[in-house]
Amino acid sequence: MNAIGFAWRSLVRQPARAALGILGVAAVGALLFDMLLLSRGLIVSMQDLLDRGGWDVRVSAGELPGSGLRISDAVDTAEAISRLPSVQAALVMRAATARIDRASGQPLRASFQGATMRSADPAGSRLRAPWTILRGRDAEGADEVVVDEKIASESRLEPGSEITMRASCVGDLEALPATRLKVVGIAEFPFQTTNETTTGGTLDALKAACGGNVGTEADLILVTSTGDADETAAAIRTLLPEIRAATNTEVVGRLQQTGFTYFRQISSVLTTVTVSFAVLLITVLLTVSVNQRLGEIAALRALGFSRVRVVKDVLSESALIVGIGGLLSLPLGLLLASGLDRILKGMPGIPVALHFFVFEAQALAIHIALLMATAIIAALYPMRIVSTLPIAATLRDEVIG
Amino acid sequence: MRPGLLVRFLILGLWLVPTLATAQEAGPADVLVSRQLAESENLTVGSVVRLATDAAGTRAREFRIAGIYEPTPDPARLGQVPRSVRLHLPDLLEMTRPVDIPAGAEYVSSVNVALVDPKDADQFAKDVNARLPGVLALPAGEAAGSAGPFRVLERFHLAIAVVTIIAATVFLLALSIMLVDERRETVGVLRLIGLPVRRILVQILLEGLLVAGVGAIFGLILALLSEQLINLFFQWRYDTALVFVRITRDVALTCVAIAVPLGASATVVASWALLRRGGLRLARR
Repeated sequence: MNAIGFAWRSLVRQPARAALGILGVAAVGALLFDMLLLSRGLIVSMQDLLDRGGWDVRVSAGELPGSGLRISDAVDTAEAISRLPSVQAALVMRAATARIDRASGQPLRASFQGATMRSADPAGSRLRAPWTILRGRDAEGADEVVVDEKIASESRLEPGSEITMRASCVGDLEALPATRLKVVGIAEFPFQTTNETTTGGTLDALKAACGGNVGTEADLILVTSTGDADETAAAIRTLLPEIRAATNTEVVGRLQQTGFTYFRQISSVLTTVTVSFAVLLITVLLTVSVNQRLGEIAALRALGFSRVRVVKDVLSESALIVGIGGLLSLPLGLLLASGLDRILKGMPGIPVALHFFVFEAQALAIHIALLMATAIIAALYPMRIVSTLPIAATLRDEVIG
Repeated sequence: MRPGLLVRFLILGLWLVPTLATAQEAGPADVLVSRQLAESENLTVGSVVRLATDAAGTRAREFRIAGIYEPTPDPARLGQVPRSVRLHLPDLLEMTRPVDIPAGAEYVSSVNVALVDPKDADQFAKDVNARLPGVLALPAGEAAGSAGPFRVLERFHLAIAVVTIIAATVFLLALSIMLVDERRETVGVLRLIGLPVRRILVQILLEGLLVAGVGAIFGLILALLSEQLINLFFQWRYDTALVFVRITRDVALTCVAIAVPLGASATVVASWALLRRGGLRLARR
């Protein structure tokens, strides 16, 4: 019988302790797996979210898009950018706060995203909207908007309905004029947060909703390059040194240095703690198990089992406990990750489509490597016990004891 | 708002024009700069700086640095170096007021109110909301909202703690089963000399309580020792005065309240199956 088969029989002989050991490894492994998913989850998810829109360079006035600073003369700036040879399209975005009047109850607070829907060239080709239409069509005119599912369901709106909106483009304390707008579609906004409702339309619609009080500023210019995003961003920076142009990877890199760092740190700390915890406990389990079987192991050595063979048996036992527990930890970890993700997504300002825990092959590979290391390290001390076991003295002690 | 009250103005939207002037006799207005900004720009108390609302330096004004302050640690801005300046409110409004807005017509984003009796906060907020339409007043405790980031993080940490406790319990049970099994013969002899099951169980429970208690105290000592190390590391890492780990009396009591009963219960549960067997069977080698 080989070492694995022998270790399996040792485990089966003590089903309760083996099952508990495996379950313990599964629980610790699940936590370890989740921490590995968390370490890069936000970065991977944010990169995916940014790439999904098809815009590969973001131009803003501040270090990061959404910093609150605005680009002045935005439409002219976008036109200048779109004339660069490496630029395929440039879209201007301006956000405002809005209140949607309802037949009954309090007005619904929402944000209004205004975007240029057509390029600046004479042909005025249609630009890809920074949202996804779920039903109906995209907003085209100055009196048309698209709304998110939450507004649609709370205000019972469908494409073709009309809303009364009071948008504020400058400050919250403006005396807001009421504007009637036609809902032409229901849309999904990629960066919409859980506690937010959003509407979208053209810049002209935003201007109409704000009673013309908009100015020429914009929050963001989204750019699609014809090829290399890095080159395009560099070209924009050269053309307009007073504004910031960043590729999606650079935006993620900046977020990585600021907002996302806490989760990377906590994931590193918990990974270390979890692995140490697993090593310590499996070492104790195996050591106690080996100590209880010293007589048995000495007898096997007396019967002709080599020192290497008994060491292999202990290592195999460790590998089986960690291996089976590790396998169970994967579905458990995914289940736990979805629960923890739901908890963390309760954080204000987190886009609905952003995830904290994202599966990556790299995380799985690290998980397997860490579990293998755990199995080996945890078995070191018990392996030393069986390898240095004095056969005759142990047998004599066992018989006399 | 009382003129002269210092308000915090983030560097967001405020540009520190690099050319530093020397102190002038005219006496520019005073500002405070954050330690991080002072360090990065080599600013000292008494230096005169020019501040503007845009990078071009339009409508730039000179200010004298009256002091360097340590920003109040803000967990929401963890990882962001607080490069900020505090100005007197009239100076700030003067700098940021659009040219077409007359003085006194500006707006502020919030007003912090200190009440004589903080217990009146709810009633005061209700009164303000009723008397001033368009203004939203909230007691400070509610301003963060029920889904504030720290409450969410608290729930996240709690969930992780629960998983850790489950894993620890499972391991503890496995370990207890093994330890109890090791004492099978002793228990068998105790049964054979006439000790009732209940008496042996009480002894095991007391042992379990003792071991769990010592373990819990050891864990607390370890936590107290690591508390300082963790705080020092993260304070260095993020250049902040924030406290990341604090072992409070409540936290310590909660840990002991979970660990001791859990440890003792695991010992008793693990022993129960053994004690149901007869004394002869247990004592047999």
